[in-house]
Amino acid sequence: MDIFIQLVINGILLGSMYAIISVGLTLIFGIVRVVNFAHGEFLMVGMYGAYLLAAKFGLHPYVSAIPIVLLLFALGAIVQRFIIQPLLSADEHIQIFATVGLSTALMNLALMVFGADLYSVPPSAVQHSIALGGFTLVIGQVVMFFCALALVAGLHLFMQATPLGRAIRATAQNRNAALLMGVRVDRIYVIAFGLGAACVGLASALVMPLYPVSPTIGTYFVLTAFVVVVLGGMRSMYGAFFGALIIGVVDSLSGYYIAPDLKEVVYFALFILILIFKPTGLFGLGRGTE
Amino acid sequence: MTIGETSLPTATAKRPSPLMRLTHPRVYCSLAALALLLLIPLVSGSPFVVHVFVTICVFAALSTAWNIVGGYAGQLSLGHMVFYGIGGYTTALLIQHFSLSPWLGMCVGAALAALVGVGIGYPCFRLRGPFFSLATIAFLEVVRLLAIHFNGVTGGSAGLIVPLKLGWTWMIFREKINYLYIAFGLLLLCVAVSYVIRSSRLGYYLTAVRERDAAALAAGVNNTNVKLKAIAVSAALTAMVGAFHAMYMTFLEPATMFSLSTSIEVAMFSLIGGLGTVAGPLLGTVLVVPLAELARGWLGSAANGLHGFVYGSVLVLITLTLPGGLVGTFGKRFARLIDALPGGGVRVPDRAAPEPAAITGTPGEPVLVADDLVKTFGGLVATDHVSLTLRRGEILGVIGPNGAGKTTVFNQLSGFLAPNSGTVSIVGRNGARATPTTPDAFARLGIGRTFQIVQPFGKLSVLENIMIGAFLRHAGVEDARAAALRVARLVGLEDVKDVEAGTLPIGGLKRLEVARTLATEPTILLLDEVMAGQSQADTQRMVQLIRTIRDHGVTVIAIEHNMQAIMSLSDRIAVIDSGRLIAEGKPQDVVRDRRVIEAYLGEDFVDAQGL
Repeated sequence: MDIFIQLVINGILLGSMYAIISVGLTLIFGIVRVVNFAHGEFLMVGMYGAYLLAAKFGLHPYVSAIPIVLLLFALGAIVQRFIIQPLLSADEHIQIFATVGLSTALMNLALMVFGADLYSVPPSAVQHSIALGGFTLVIGQVVMFFCALALVAGLHLFMQATPLGRAIRATAQNRNAALLMGVRVDRIYVIAFGLGAACVGLASALVMPLYPVSPTIGTYFVLTAFVVVVLGGMRSMYGAFFGALIIGVVDSLSGYYIAPDLKEVVYFALFILILIFKPTGLFGLGRGTE
Repeated sequence: MTIGETSLPTATAKRPSPLMRLTHPRVYCSLAALALLLLIPLVSGSPFVVHVFVTICVFAALSTAWNIVGGYAGQLSLGHMVFYGIGGYTTALLIQHFSLSPWLGMCVGAALAALVGVGIGYPCFRLRGPFFSLATIAFLEVVRLLAIHFNGVTGGSAGLIVPLKLGWTWMIFREKINYLYIAFGLLLLCVAVSYVIRSSRLGYYLTAVRERDAAALAAGVNNTNVKLKAIAVSAALTAMVGAFHAMYMTFLEPATMFSLSTSIEVAMFSLIGGLGTVAGPLLGTVLVVPLAELARGWLGSAANGLHGFVYGSVLVLITLTLPGGLVGTFGKRFARLIDALPGGGVRVPDRAAPEPAAITGTPGEPVLVADDLVKTFGGLVATDHVSLTLRRGEILGVIGPNGAGKTTVFNQLSGFLAPNSGTVSIVGRNGARATPTTPDAFARLGIGRTFQIVQPFGKLSVLENIMIGAFLRHAGVEDARAAALRVARLVGLEDVKDVEAGTLPIGGLKRLEVARTLATEPTILLLDEVMAGQSQADTQRMVQLIRTIRDHGVTVIAIEHNMQAIMSLSDRIAVIDSGRLIAEGKPQDVVRDRRVIEAYLGEDFVDAQGL
């Protein structure tokens, strides 16, 4: 039983990392209505950024979080402005190809610059574990869990209580009506894409002390993030948050009880089943396949 | 590479059979260009050049096969290497365990891949754009992880070496040029299959389903079936190429056999060349692969990631600048140049089909009976116990205020909506009574419907739009074309038959709706506001047309807001308000009915008039 509880705890902590990535993906899909296949590569860019800041200036990734978040916001905004925006009225497959192409280009750019080697930041205290009531928790993961909570709470307040947040919600619900009400929809999209990328920036700074970075790290995380987003109902930030925790737990349990190398098979199978049988997500919060 | 098409090959489709007309410049230029893929490496003799051309042929074949699903059907699979891997592993394992020749293994792999393709497509085709792509990626990942996990069978991550037995039986050669012959043969096979599909009914149907699935359903196309055929063919071809490529590399590992990045590359070549065209995937591959291979040859490992970076950047640039790809953008102009060569420009004269046989049956017998239909959307009762009987040979007008639920009733009469309760039974073309459930089944039985909001296949020509309907009764392209031309004349669209449908004005689009539906040769015609937005003269023509149609024995039921037209046209009128059938009868009686006037003008007006 103790093992089971420990696994669930591990799963929830792991899930909080997916939560931060997935909330960003959901923001972009929910508002701009574009599936960002390059989302994982944004994470990779952020992680290399955190690595460089640590290697050159000795900054702890938690400190680099601030410049990285700003950098990723800018990257997201630029991508929206110069790649997605011209394609908003294009066929859907053209949008898919554009973000897939971006993903391929960024991944291989990293391969050219850094090679295929793994890079990590110098060890720090956040890799250590603490014992709590007989269970062990990795400090860095606990930090991530609270950051995920704070992120969702912060975005919730932002969306509900600020004029910009209201404009974003209005745009997400009905683009044309928002336009008619004087909302500058193009600018909202740029901000939304930037925010989505900024979430990944936060994730990359938090992940960096725990995982080494490589050009393909994005693919590894983003496929899971897609599973989470579909599970959470595609457009709901809260759905994505809880979906991420569920996937974390599924990951942790199936890795232990089934086979470590089959845990992805379990949640990809889950992903396919949900897409097919419950496209509104586990909590019925979205309207995914429309 | 020289066949230039955009969405559909009007000129190529006019030829009765492609091989009959070797003298046509499109045919001989294409063959000459294809032959270069064989001749250049033969002349050069360099093993590196041969390797590059084998790679070109393999990727061009893969991309051409992918295009059948990704381009023609518009289902963007990003996990297509799952079929390639299945072909490769099946072949290798059959050699290893049963000493089965890879030629046979290739066929087994193809059959298996087709089955898997149908298994993936059946549940996933309902997913919209990016979610279909994600699902295919998920399938690819699952298969790759399983291939790693079951290392007893596949050799796992360590890989699997193909047993090295030399000779044509075992598809392993010392002379590399032999590989080129096979790769080239596979490419020819893929291009030929792609071409045949493109210029057949299946190709037209795939385009129709991709552009407007509702209109395709109304034209009697079984959307899922058509796409499943496409994915089965595409998967089988991909698996055959995978089988050959495994023999060529003599080594299989899950990371390369089920690679996501290769899946993306294959799709990318199609986009660069032109999605949904026959020549596009080949052209894209020929342009991009040599660059990447040469860069790899010259720069070696220093160029690690370079070709991927270039691929990705090119992909983004193409989406921003040439979303139609090379063939889509320049194909028409290029085709005109080609057609100017000797042998081009010979046109088969247009032929219009004769009238279809008159519809038989007893005038006045009920041909469509809707019994107590109820349809609710959440709390809204959109159809409230509506019963209707349509009699053979009559014109029944359906009127009612906006939002009364007329189109909802139509949707139930044509299978687009399933009623919560109640039944729709019709007398099919064969005279038997039936209760179909899907729109395409309704269409096959002889129910034709138009859409209030017009649903043209925007990128097809007017005539091709009508052909989509005509294919329901005429499987051959030439027969369908002739039947479509007959309808185009009848409806008055012959002058614009070669115009892209998306450019027609609203009046033309309304007539095109009727034309596409008429081309299915219906016995019962459901017209949804075909006169809305028409000029006075066009309305007169439409009234005349509907009368002509009825005189051919077709039973007509029409929703209309144009009172004057519908009153003069109809034998009977049914009035729907708030989801209920409030009156039914002869036009002159219905207009005097108190409930009808109330529905249109309100109770106060009725009281004021003292009716």
